Amino acid sequence: MTDLAANAPAGGRASRSLLVPSARMRRRNSAERRFRSYGLIAIVVSLLSLAVMLSTIFRDGASSFWQARLEFPVTLDAAVLDPKGNADPAEMAKQTTVTYGKLLDQSFAAILAAGGIDASGLTDKEIGAMVSKAAPAQIRDRVLADPSLLGQTITVDVLAAGRIDGYLKGRVTRETAARDRNVSPAQLDLADRLVGAGLLAERWNWDFITGPDASDTRPESAGLGVALIGSVYMMLLVLVMCVPVGVAASIYLEEFAPKNGWTDLIEVNIANLAAVPSIVFGILGLAVFINFLQLPQSSSLVGALVISLMTLPTIIIATRSAVRAVPPSVRDAALGIGASKMQAVFHHVLPLAMPGILTGTILGLATALGETAPLLLIGMVAFVTNYPDAPPEGFLDPATALPVQVYNWASRSDPAFIERSNGAIIVLLVFLLAMNVSAILLRRKFERRW
Amino acid sequence: MNMNDMRSVERIVNSHAAKIAAQNVQVHYGASQAIRDVSIDILDRTVTAFIGPSGCGKSTFLRCLNRMNDTIPTCRIEGLIRLDGEDIYDRRVDPVTLRAKVGMVFQKPNPFPKSIYDNVAYGPRIHGLVQGKAELDEVVEQSLRKAALWNEVKDRLSAPGTGLSGGQQQRLCIARAVATGPEVLLMDEPCSALDPIATAQVEELIDELRANFSVVIVTHSMQQAARVSQKTAFFHLGNLVEYGDTAQIFTTPQDSRTESYITGRIG
Ligand SMILES: Nc1ncnc2c1ncn2[C@@H]1O[C@H](COP(=O)(O)OP(=O)(O)OP(=O)(O)O)[C@@H](O)[C@H]1O
Ligand SMILES: [Mg+2]
Repeated sequence: MTDLAANAPAGGRASRSLLVPSARMRRRNSAERRFRSYGLIAIVVSLLSLAVMLSTIFRDGASSFWQARLEFPVTLDAAVLDPKGNADPAEMAKQTTVTYGKLLDQSFAAILAAGGIDASGLTDKEIGAMVSKAAPAQIRDRVLADPSLLGQTITVDVLAAGRIDGYLKGRVTRETAARDRNVSPAQLDLADRLVGAGLLAERWNWDFITGPDASDTRPESAGLGVALIGSVYMMLLVLVMCVPVGVAASIYLEEFAPKNGWTDLIEVNIANLAAVPSIVFGILGLAVFINFLQLPQSSSLVGALVISLMTLPTIIIATRSAVRAVPPSVRDAALGIGASKMQAVFHHVLPLAMPGILTGTILGLATALGETAPLLLIGMVAFVTNYPDAPPEGFLDPATALPVQVYNWASRSDPAFIERSNGAIIVLLVFLLAMNVSAILLRRKFERRW
Repeated sequence: MNMNDMRSVERIVNSHAAKIAAQNVQVHYGASQAIRDVSIDILDRTVTAFIGPSGCGKSTFLRCLNRMNDTIPTCRIEGLIRLDGEDIYDRRVDPVTLRAKVGMVFQKPNPFPKSIYDNVAYGPRIHGLVQGKAELDEVVEQSLRKAALWNEVKDRLSAPGTGLSGGQQQRLCIARAVATGPEVLLMDEPCSALDPIATAQVEELIDELRANFSVVIVTHSMQQAARVSQKTAFFHLGNLVEYGDTAQIFTTPQDSRTESYITGRIG
């Protein structure tokens, strides 16, 4: 005992072994372990919900990139399509899609008969309804573009009707067809035989990405083209309008503005603007840009203006914090050897803040790309089937945007549009992914300068 | 403290004219006063050391001399500071031109995140001091030689300046300041981040710079002040307590506060 007492440190405190953790230490360690597992659980939960969301979207939407198509020869009877026989385009244009529709139906029926495909129990009308209502217009356009086709037999590649496509994709079954006015189980039997004969097949469908929207009765030919162009136009305009204004405003506020009540007020208001619900910006856009400035409704210019108003605060806040994060010693160094304030900012501060500015800007644009509510108010939800012209005039043409197209299709009754709505989400996600990847790449590129 | 290890440098400095003349300078940060009524003549081609306890206003006063305090919104300066007889706070004076004449080296090495070459070339470039690449190369080399850095970096001028060691970075900052051809060089504790060898190199450099510039150095090291300076100013609580030849300040201080400080009783 005396030996032990002699070895104890001064003050009479018994020395504790390093190998035996104290009760306090154990509590601290378990608190740490607990916290780490909370964090892990949080990550797993968010990853799981992301995975569920993405997998449902892909399950329901991926099929919209494929479409059932029919391929068969059609004899373009010159006597029917060009009754005057002079191949005059103006005369030929008098033949409407109804004429072409009949021609198509006859050719299709003839192919069935020639191929020995049993279509018993189906009326001619029902057989014709296997082909999309968009097909006659497609053939007509082709003939009007090239009158020399008259009298020839050409192989056409046309969309099948939406219900037939749904059957091949598993959306339509014989049970649902029995209750459906638009399709009968007998037609589905015929579809099976057509597939067997190699006339009907699911094929990659570029028209979904490039084609214009279509009416409620023709889901099979509805495409994203106009929405895609509208979104691209808007992003371009937002980029051109927001980035210079946002960066200039933040640099002025951060580096040049006197620090007083006014700048504080501006700062508070910018933060508030970033928190204003987007629908309010839509109402503002409607009142100011359309009613007051008389800019055309549904145009990508108005959409871009409204979205710019929303994105500006985000860009300003991101840029300001990026500029503020540049160490003051860099400014001192530049000023200390006689650089002007502007030289210090543009030669030294801005390059260092660039990665942050770029990330903030691209993330702001990504949010803007997905913005829907304000666009509904300024009329971009309209049914637009004409492509906007090339810029700059095209900025004033009516267009829609990707997220609006998603909303628009999702609110239609035909389940075929739900599939396309999910397909449109996939396209939107691909765009967002591309933007985020470019944000990361740009960041890397600018950061690598040591 | 033993004064015998002071390197003896010539103390005959009175022949030089005053480069900077400050009269009754008062500096306020908002409501608090950092400099009270300081008057001092800083001589040409002379190393002047500012010493004093932490927070006494050495840096504040130094930054008044090239108007770096303009960047601090709360800072207010009264009194008269003249460079070669011209009031540097005159409204016609552009601080940018002033800072090209009165260069500054900071306590923490702060090279630009650019190449070594670009660091040194930056000043000559923005001031349009050189024509053509060859001339710029020459200025860069001369400045790096003056900062005793040339031999270490001549093979990697395009390497980042931030990749150098702390002492090399500080010498790079000195080279950068020298490259603009200033008339006065202000150094705020330039050696506080350096090891003794780098410190010795910088001190040697300061001694060489004296041939062309007026150098003002803030330092916490009494030995350093004694080694490199010809004039020493002792600041205390915002006042300039004593200013005179270095040898005299360190051997026969007139003020009791100076004596207490250099013997280590205030600090
Ligand atoms: N930007 C500023 N805003 C407000 N007060 C300041 C500012 N800079 C310095 N001060 C105050 O002015 C006084 C002098 O500071 P200064 O930095 O000049 O001291 P110093 O002598 O350089 O000290 P050190 O030796 O520790 O560097 C201090 O009381 C300091 O708190
Ligand atoms: Mg200081």
